[in-house]
Amino acid sequence: MGRYILRRSLQAVGTLFLVVFVLHLLTTFAIQLNGNPALAFFGDRVPSASQVAAVEARFGLDDPCFDQVGNPCLGPFAERLAGYAQGDFGTNLRGREVTDIVATAAPNTLKLFAVVTVTWLVMGMFLGSMAARWRGRPADHGIRMTSVLIDAFPIFVLLLVYRYVFSVPLSEWARSTFGSDSLPAQLFRPSFDADHAWASVLVPGLLLGLAGSAAFIRLVRASQLESYAGEHVRTARSKGLHERHVLLHHVVRNSSVPVVTAVGLTFTEALAGAVITEGMMNIYGMGGVLWEAVRGSDIGLVIGVVTILAIVTVVVMIVVDVAYAALDPRIRYE
Amino acid sequence: MTAVGQMTTSAPTGGTALRAAAGETLLEVEDLAVEFRTPDGTVRAVDGLSYSVRAGETLAIVGESGCGKSVSSLAVMGLLAPTARITKGAARFRGTDLLALRPKEHRRYCGEHVAMVFQDALAALNPVHTVGYQLGEALRARHGVSRGEARRRAVELLDLVKVPNARQRVDEYPHQFSGGMRQRVMIASALAMDPEVLIADEPTTALDVTVQAQVLRLLAEIQAERTMALVLITHDMGVVAGVADDVTVMYAGRAVEQAPVREIFAAPAHPYTRALLRSVPSLATRGAAAGAGARADAKAAGGRLDVIPGRPPSPGQVPSGCPFHPRCEVAQDVCRTDPPPLAAIPAEALTTAAPRAAACHFALDVLGGARG
Ligand SMILES: Nc1ncnc2c1ncn2[C@@H]1O[C@H](COP(=O)(O)OP(=O)(O)OP(=O)(O)O)[C@@H](O)[C@H]1O
Ligand code: SF4
Ligand SMILES: [Mg+2]
Repeated sequence: MGRYILRRSLQAVGTLFLVVFVLHLLTTFAIQLNGNPALAFFGDRVPSASQVAAVEARFGLDDPCFDQVGNPCLGPFAERLAGYAQGDFGTNLRGREVTDIVATAAPNTLKLFAVVTVTWLVMGMFLGSMAARWRGRPADHGIRMTSVLIDAFPIFVLLLVYRYVFSVPLSEWARSTFGSDSLPAQLFRPSFDADHAWASVLVPGLLLGLAGSAAFIRLVRASQLESYAGEHVRTARSKGLHERHVLLHHVVRNSSVPVVTAVGLTFTEALAGAVITEGMMNIYGMGGVLWEAVRGSDIGLVIGVVTILAIVTVVVMIVVDVAYAALDPRIRYE
Repeated sequence: MTAVGQMTTSAPTGGTALRAAAGETLLEVEDLAVEFRTPDGTVRAVDGLSYSVRAGETLAIVGESGCGKSVSSLAVMGLLAPTARITKGAARFRGTDLLALRPKEHRRYCGEHVAMVFQDALAALNPVHTVGYQLGEALRARHGVSRGEARRRAVELLDLVKVPNARQRVDEYPHQFSGGMRQRVMIASALAMDPEVLIADEPTTALDVTVQAQVLRLLAEIQAERTMALVLITHDMGVVAGVADDVTVMYAGRAVEQAPVREIFAAPAHPYTRALLRSVPSLATRGAAAGAGARADAKAAGGRLDVIPGRPPSPGQVPSGCPFHPRCEVAQDVCRTDPPPLAAIPAEALTTAAPRAAACHFALDVLGGARG
């Protein structure tokens, strides 16, 4: 097991390096083709040559390679890696540390994430298990219909409809019925409120979780059906074990292996969903920060945030792989 | 049943639980029929099967693939697929008809009184739990045995089935065992609750010949020691010769011949049984206590394997009359129209007192060697 974790970690470091390098190449070419991002620092003002030079120096854009289209700019890349190694992820255009920005934005993203993950795990496990248990019965058909229906509404459609059609009347109704500081009034706010972070991420999180759960429901159903059909389930029954025990230890336990894999995949999907959700619901989180950074051509911030997100993703992947190995001895002993 | 009498008197009586007296009828299947719902309509996989097995005895159920051996055993255990339906019959354990019980009640007899060993141990054992967990699982869940005690019992069970290094291997997973060892684990798992009846569904088919012999010997030993009733399912007459007391030959979901093992090997009363005996490779080298008649038959066939031409019918397309008639070398016109009932062979045609039955219009001729 220890060697397995070590091997996976080394692979992960390799992956991470590749991600960071590709990101570097892409931004470098963007700078080379689009012109100097240091100008974005001045907004609408027209800076003097010395001002531009000072800003370039500050953001590490003064290397001449940025003027040569096709030059991979390995020098600045090495400098940036050295910075990462010391925990220095650079600053945004206003000079604020990227790590500092992330530290304030990440908790909101985590809250949104927690709501999303709990929603789709609970929905997926519960509805998926029900569908498998009552295969071919009305409950199964209903659940499968629902999951297809959910898929027919992409997350941004759900959010748009919620925000512009439901949120305003709902929050007005809640405010007039329960008072403007009441919990329901906070729940249905059309935009994020840092003082009621949990309340304001709840509904978007539920919607995002719902959207993600559709595929998960089907996966849980399919993997449990496979387990049900497994001969080991018949053996368990032949020992006279209660159906509940068989279900828990031989069906759900065995289907947890593919389910955990799916958790890893869905995690990245939820990350993409979070960027959209935070952007649309004005939630000040990692997605919101990234959204703003891209719009403001804040290259330093984009690179820093994306790198941190990549690190998080890779760590989650390792955790999933290790959980996978812990759940399935056949992988552990390979 | 002379052979049986010898076996049980010489066997030590099991020390632990209250054992059935040798010779007591433990499992009695009567007129069992199982149907499946399929896209092409309902098919009958088992049709009027009856057998019984006594404490300390082994009944072999023999037949080619697809003749309903597994389905009938799963019916007894209450483990049939949801598409299956038991349309008639009884399966009595010490007089209690298991099939008349509610599923929950039926389940309680499983493992405790009637246990089953499955063919493919790799698939039948759960890959994600240790062998120790699976051996002790029922004891813990049903008898409230503690974790430590269950583990101790698991080690004992592994010792019982002669898995070397039991203390260490109890924490390993099924995929870490060889095929033969895994089948031993499967047997140990079925023995965990000390059942009175063990149904072993082709327990050695997946194994190579030397390992087969070891596993069979082990099963026979344990059975004798515990005065267990053993239902041994196989498609191999060679296996039957070494371990069985009685034989039920199945074809197309029915019993076509039932007789004590010596008699059936000495002189089969059904053309299908005779064909099966001819297809056994070198009975002598397996050390089987086969009757001289079968050996003579094998010799007559030039020592070659004499495979039965054609294939057994699928349950949806059972031929009219005698289901075996398209493949029977002695079929007559009557065989195509009239199904022969499974009928007792008159005592005057038998050489011993043991009753026999066969489902063939010409059973007496076949028995007397007048046909074929
Ligand atoms: N779930 C099912 N649905 C439809 N038909 C089935 C099903 N299970 C078994 N059958 C049919 O029942 C018949 C008997 O099957 P069974 O498994 O009892 O054969 P068997 O004698 O055990 O053969 P084998 O030696 O291959 O194990 C087969 O012909 C098969 O087509
Ligand atoms: S009844 Fe006829 S077809 Fe059937 S086994 Fe006997 S002889 Fe053969
Ligand atoms: Mg079978």
